[in-house]
Amino acid sequence: MVSQGLLQMIPQILIRSLGAFLAVMSFGLILELPKKYLFHAGAVGGLGWMVYLIVERCSRSGPMAAFLSSLMVAGMSHIFARQKKAPVTVFLVAGILPSVPGASIYRCVYYMIRNAEMLSNDYLVETLKIAGAIAMAVFFIDSLFRLGQDHGKPM
Amino acid sequence: MTREKLLVETAALAGEIMLVSGAEIYRVETTIQHILELAEGKQGENVVLSTGIYLSLDDPAGEAITVVRRVSDRSTNLNRIDLANNVSRKLCTGKLSIQEAYDQLLVIQKQEIYSPKATFLGYVGTCCFFAMLFNGKLYDCLAALLVGAGLALVMGAAKKIRLNAFCTNVIAAFFVGEAALLLQAFALTDIHRDTVIVSAIMPLVPGVVFTTAIRDTLNGDYNAGMARMVEAVVTALAIAAGVGASMSLFQMLMGGSYLW
Repeated sequence: MVSQGLLQMIPQILIRSLGAFLAVMSFGLILELPKKYLFHAGAVGGLGWMVYLIVERCSRSGPMAAFLSSLMVAGMSHIFARQKKAPVTVFLVAGILPSVPGASIYRCVYYMIRNAEMLSNDYLVETLKIAGAIAMAVFFIDSLFRLGQDHGKPM
Repeated sequence: MTREKLLVETAALAGEIMLVSGAEIYRVETTIQHILELAEGKQGENVVLSTGIYLSLDDPAGEAITVVRRVSDRSTNLNRIDLANNVSRKLCTGKLSIQEAYDQLLVIQKQEIYSPKATFLGYVGTCCFFAMLFNGKLYDCLAALLVGAGLALVMGAAKKIRLNAFCTNVIAAFFVGEAALLLQAFALTDIHRDTVIVSAIMPLVPGVVFTTAIRDTLNGDYNAGMARMVEAVVTALAIAAGVGASMSLFQMLMGGSYLW
């Protein structure tokens, strides 16, 4: 695994991004995402996960990968939102799904129940770092797109 | 109903729909504020917490109108956020009258766009494709798909008998854990148990809630941020308890040190 270069990872990255695309579209059905936005939300999620995997491979840092991929996800969400006159949340919630630390929160609490405090702490810190990175990226892009708006409605 | 009263009701309804559907606090507050500003010469204010909405329209010459809405069950519904946002946008640009907007919001509040079948597919697809996203092998995806189908049925049944969110999560997570362990023990022996369980609980885990909590906090909505963070932790607790219980039960049934 460690010896693999980025080039050899390409097929794997593509397959996993396809998985993210389809997973986000399926999750859209659970979140009642309107049909007309399904494909766009899937694309946001898939591309975001691709960036996540590439950055994670290069920098070996989950929070860094989450930050950069969320920057892109948030940027794309804002652009789609303007284009389709929809609230940003519609694309954003779906788009950040693959990278949000749901599994880490679960593992943190799971190891707490299992009395494995060290592992629990590790996952807690990871959850906070990744959620913080995503939230900061989203907040940053939000602020950027709100510059120069005349107190209009938030998109 | 006077025009002001109707306006306040409309603002409260729009805010309630958005808050229940999981919109960020600042979005709910600005939407309500924009609708209240349609009353000229009056001072409108609103405070939104994650569990309720307070709004008032103050008339310097007379009495103020105040409305409080308590919000209890929340579940993400992007369609309703989108539609409520659209209605308030049209109302503020004058394309809809207040009465029309109010009537449309009443319809939106109950609207569901996907049939139970589509939701079922959603659960199955989410579990299966999350296994793919987590770098699972073919068998992992297959196992996650099967577990996901069961999970969808459990969630459907829980919705039908109106079980509360905490118990639903515990039971659903228990089912996921047990199903994955049984599959590994008796049917698909080369699956990665961890990948399958984590993929199959993805429809339940509170990742988005947790991230929204931090966004609310960064926006200065500290109350809502803390409340959402607690919500995320409680949900995670329910899921972990469910999976943990399923593992203990499995351990008891199979005996020995099968799991750890």
